[in-house]
Amino acid sequence: MADAEGRAEGAEGAAAVLARSRSTLRTSVVRPVGSVATRLLEPLDRAASPAAAAFNRSLGQYFGTVTGLQLLVLITTVLALFAAPLWAPYIVGNYLYTLAIACVWAIFAMAWDVQSGYTGYISFGHSALSGAAGYATALLVVNVGPNLPLWVTIPVSVLAALVVGLVVGLPALRLQGPYFSLITFVAVLLFYRLTIGFSEFLGGETGFQEVQAFTYDPTLRFYYMLVPMLLVAVGLTFVARSNVGMVFVAIRENESAVAAAGLNPTAFKLWSFVMSAIPMGIGGVLLAHFSGNVTPSSFVVVNNSIEMIAMAVLGGIGSVLAPIGGAFLFVILRDEVLHGVGHSLRYFTLWMVVLAVLVFARDGVIRRLWHAIGAIGGDSE
Amino acid sequence: MSEWLFRIVINGAMISALYALIAIGFTMIFGVGGVLNLAHGALIMAGAYVFLFLTRTIFLEAVALPVLVAVPLTVAVVAGLSYGLYVGLVRYVEDDVVITFLATVIVATALTELVLGTLGDQPYDFTVLAGTTAVLGTTVSYTELLGFVVSWFAIGLLWYYVTQTDGGRSILATSMSERGAHLTGVDVGSVRARTWLIAGGLAGTAGIFLVGGDPSATPLMWLHPLALAFIIVVIGGIGSIKGSIVAAYGIGYLETLTVELLGQGFRGILSLVVLVVVLLVLPQGLYGREFVHG
Repeated sequence: MADAEGRAEGAEGAAAVLARSRSTLRTSVVRPVGSVATRLLEPLDRAASPAAAAFNRSLGQYFGTVTGLQLLVLITTVLALFAAPLWAPYIVGNYLYTLAIACVWAIFAMAWDVQSGYTGYISFGHSALSGAAGYATALLVVNVGPNLPLWVTIPVSVLAALVVGLVVGLPALRLQGPYFSLITFVAVLLFYRLTIGFSEFLGGETGFQEVQAFTYDPTLRFYYMLVPMLLVAVGLTFVARSNVGMVFVAIRENESAVAAAGLNPTAFKLWSFVMSAIPMGIGGVLLAHFSGNVTPSSFVVVNNSIEMIAMAVLGGIGSVLAPIGGAFLFVILRDEVLHGVGHSLRYFTLWMVVLAVLVFARDGVIRRLWHAIGAIGGDSE
Repeated sequence: MSEWLFRIVINGAMISALYALIAIGFTMIFGVGGVLNLAHGALIMAGAYVFLFLTRTIFLEAVALPVLVAVPLTVAVVAGLSYGLYVGLVRYVEDDVVITFLATVIVATALTELVLGTLGDQPYDFTVLAGTTAVLGTTVSYTELLGFVVSWFAIGLLWYYVTQTDGGRSILATSMSERGAHLTGVDVGSVRARTWLIAGGLAGTAGIFLVGGDPSATPLMWLHPLALAFIIVVIGGIGSIKGSIVAAYGIGYLETLTVELLGQGFRGILSLVVLVVVLLVLPQGLYGREFVHG
């Protein structure tokens, strides 16, 4: 008995070491940097606070409230993104391409988050949804005609994502916790196997190359990706901040309480799947038209789902906007910062970064930053 | 006809024995810690590669151990890896199920990239024991036979440990009710670590005989065993060792029959159908139970 207690203390001791190193880091690095930043940024916060107050009065109830500095950062980021074609060419690398691809993945990460991050039902099968949209576009182009207008192919493809989402979600969402994740994981493996098994119809390992890219002009292409991404972000933020979003979070925190309150959790989980499948479809269509290639490895494989999850984790699970930052961080790290490094070492490094974030900052890097910014000049934590 | 029947019976038994090895470790970890260890497939892959490393001279000239030494050594190494995974990582995050979940899948992908980076993606083959024999008119390789024997030996050992010794019984107690185990003086932390050690050993064994049997060792081989473990464990009831063994044999025979009757292309698809039916009709699985404390 005493021995057992001693060992239990040992396990707690390990956690204590972790906590102590964290607090050392906080006192010696974070706090001094933070206090300098606070002194520098406080005037900015004060200057922007009337605008923030106006925002909070008019739109706050739909999108959440912000402090002056947060509003400033938000506006600056959006403006910087829109101005990317002006500054990106001056940075070494191919940033306009990278940012465009990051926009698509940001949609995926947000869409994953609004379902998995909010309800706590972790899906490993989201790449099947974007895959459904991409394959629908490719199949329409190949089987019906290459000149189908976009206003036909895009809605049909998004619908395909929705249908696949419901096919996976309807049986899976009746299940509790881990079972759901298992089913989605197995589902994506099954979809992958189907693309190989029905290769004469679905193109097999090489997929389809017939989809027309929107454009090959890098600047225009960037805007084709950026604008839908921002629209999806606004839409999903609205959903997440609405009562429906509240119920999603309530399901994550205590599902039986939701049921006891007279709400049907399964119906809401299904809604979260719908809310997630539509942007997944939009992202899938964008990705299909980005390069014109629709292959199992660029759409369906389970690694794609894991990458979406990694992006959401980097940014912060359970907040629609943080995964955008996570996606940009992930893609920029992968395609630019670690560009010269070999493929597997690059991914290994990335996974280690994500793992570190999971262990040391589980609410995500971007969300931490956001709250740190919010704390400046406002209420401290 | 009887020859055909024997072939099904024998081949099914060989593959099912491996499936049981794959699934038991996975279900034990879930039963004890409530952790879905998505790195389980990666540990199976590690088993195959460690064995390859120890027995063949392709990587290191000097090392080419005899099988009799290499098998236990591989099992020990993978058990150590699994233990290290728990003590070095999972222990810090296991209070949050979702984070644990994500952390283990990230470990699996990172390990895959590590293997890809160091050894490349070419498949490697090896046999544990060369040669074949005929059992009731069916050709069976010695590797498969040894895998069958080792599987049942491991299951027997596990059964003895879990039911007859205090250390094992505390694992069983913890998986039944963690609070109850805690109250009766079981050191839950060390039980969990021990479970990971055992599960790692089983995964390592499965890795050796899986690759020794039919498929090759590739960096992507973590996915298929993991999916199999999922299916088997859900059908058997999450957390139940007995259920895993029964379900492993069910799935093993189902796959043998489908391959025999419908062809190789349908392997796995019927298992998925069974999985969905079981989930909808019998969500607790064959031998599953309600969790006493959530």
